[in-house]
Amino acid sequence: MSRFLIRRLISAIPVLLGILIVTFVLARSIRGDPCRAILGERATQESCDAFNARNGLDQPIPVQFVIYMRNIAQGDFGESLRLGRTVIDLLAERLPVTIELALTALVIAVVVGVPLGMLAAYRHNSFVDVATMTGANIGISMPVFWLGLMLSYLFAVVLKETPFALPPSGRLTAGLNPAPYYMVWGWVAQGETPPALWVFLSRFYVLNALLTGNWELLSSAVRHLILPAITVGTIPLAIIARMTRSSLLEALNQDYIRTARAKGLAERLIVFRHGMRNALLPVVTIIGLNFGFLVAGAVLTETVFGLTGIGRTLFEAITSRDYAVVQGVTLITAMAFVVINLLVDLFYGVLDPRIRLS
Amino acid sequence: MSSTSRNVVALKPTEDLLGPRRAPWRDTVGRILRNRSAVVGLIMISFMLLVAVGADLIATHAPNEPMFGKPGEVAPLPRKPPCVPAFGCTEPMHLMGLDQNARDVFSRVVHGSRLSLFVGITVVAFALSVGVLIGLVAGFFGGWVEDVLMRSMDVLLAFPSLLLAIAIVTILGPGLQNALLAIGIVSVPVYARLTRASVLSAKEMEYVTAGRALGAGPMRLMFVNILPNVLTPLIVQATLGVGTAVIEAAALSFLGLGAQPPDPEWGQMLSEARALVFTAPHLVFFPGIAITFTVLGFNLLGDGLRDALDPRLRGTN
Repeated sequence: MSRFLIRRLISAIPVLLGILIVTFVLARSIRGDPCRAILGERATQESCDAFNARNGLDQPIPVQFVIYMRNIAQGDFGESLRLGRTVIDLLAERLPVTIELALTALVIAVVVGVPLGMLAAYRHNSFVDVATMTGANIGISMPVFWLGLMLSYLFAVVLKETPFALPPSGRLTAGLNPAPYYMVWGWVAQGETPPALWVFLSRFYVLNALLTGNWELLSSAVRHLILPAITVGTIPLAIIARMTRSSLLEALNQDYIRTARAKGLAERLIVFRHGMRNALLPVVTIIGLNFGFLVAGAVLTETVFGLTGIGRTLFEAITSRDYAVVQGVTLITAMAFVVINLLVDLFYGVLDPRIRLS
Repeated sequence: MSSTSRNVVALKPTEDLLGPRRAPWRDTVGRILRNRSAVVGLIMISFMLLVAVGADLIATHAPNEPMFGKPGEVAPLPRKPPCVPAFGCTEPMHLMGLDQNARDVFSRVVHGSRLSLFVGITVVAFALSVGVLIGLVAGFFGGWVEDVLMRSMDVLLAFPSLLLAIAIVTILGPGLQNALLAIGIVSVPVYARLTRASVLSAKEMEYVTAGRALGAGPMRLMFVNILPNVLTPLIVQATLGVGTAVIEAAALSFLGLGAQPPDPEWGQMLSEARALVFTAPHLVFFPGIAITFTVLGFNLLGDGLRDALDPRLRGTN
């Protein structure tokens, strides 16, 4: 196992290096003089020279690359020109929004998708199977942002006077104040600065509401989360349902299933215990691979639902040409992508010894 | 003469057992046509193609012209929901209503099919040619060439594709052409990987050894001997890829990075109508249905082709 682990870790290094190079090249490919972009069009040559020297921009490109690598190793992702805050600060504030959204979406996708796929395989070629797969195909073909817009129209306008009405934007009902858990518990007095990690955690509103036992806050946070999470989760849900179905169908054709049938096991036991255990392996991979859809979905969904997560931050940074933010967010997401794929591979190796040995 | 006919008679029983002779492609077409999802997909795509080709005949109005009430009136008409006389609407017919600039939504959706199909097919053509070339070279030559090429593909795959496309458009500047290029670039790795994987097994085949023994150079081996034999998974992936490209182009346009107003591109129409979703949902509804319908067609055809052409790939993806 440790050899598999090491081999897999080493194989991720060139990709991580490549990501660093690509983000570096992307940032350097942007037209315009960074000095004039930051200090203004009328900056003098002297102040520009000083600026370039201070930021290492007068160095040759390879040296600049080393400086860039060193900054990133030190957790310095630069500063947002538009907001005047460090990119790390911005990420710490807005990442929780996206993580909360993506995780809820993933939970919806797995909790609904896996049973649907199992049901479709269990009742292969029945009406349930055809309906589920048709639904899954439509789900995969829908543009995320369109689904978000239609859902918000349905739940905020059509169902307005019913108990099913849901808010179409924001994270909390207006006027509701999410007192962070460290304040409620008296860990931090008014006016003191809490540790960054505490702040980071308190920005997960659902978690914060649970910790503080504030049910009004919890209900508001959850109700605001439902529509965006369904929007982001639909494509992964459809993919997971399809994958579960096909992989369970394949597992049910194996010899050991025939043996189980021959010894007279109940059909339900055969499908759900013997078949499902083996069918789950590819499903785990697919769940990991869906990270890309979650990120892409988050960019579009946050735009539709007015959430200030990293997706929306990225979009705003692009439209306002705030390049340090574009670079930082792209880098973080790509790295998260690599790490998640790595974890999925490792988990897969744990689940299936054949992978490790091959 | 009589001896010849006797020979033919002698051969007949075997021929009967084999059934009438058919060209190999007939088998393939038969298998595709027996696949329900391939047929449904094919019908949907043909329908969209007809709409795109006949857009000028089908559209009731010019896609970018605002409507005016009576002749000589200066102010364009206000936004209107769909109006179909057959359902009791007394005003002039607008199947999908008028948008915020008093343009006929139906005509815009119809004309949008041209842009979307053009986008899908161009992107796939670009990604397919570049990706196949990279995959062929990497798989055929192996060694450091393969390492360099495939590791670069891994790096491109490490970025969520929409994110990378956004970054590329940021550098190139917004616009439909740049969006096409960006989506094309991020789609390349899929085809490169697929081609390389197939080439690795195909190059060990005896027909390649035979070609080499006959003195064929690398170009001939790659393009004449190997390429035709690795096409099947590529055809499947390319079909699915058109759908993905249509959706991604729409997403870029929705974010304001792709097609620009007043182009009747579906994503762009959604972007313009976004703020009006609560008051004029028809402006959002129809372009989205058009995207879903087109993408669904390509996805169904791709799935069907996969099942029909390559049973080994069944259930993957």
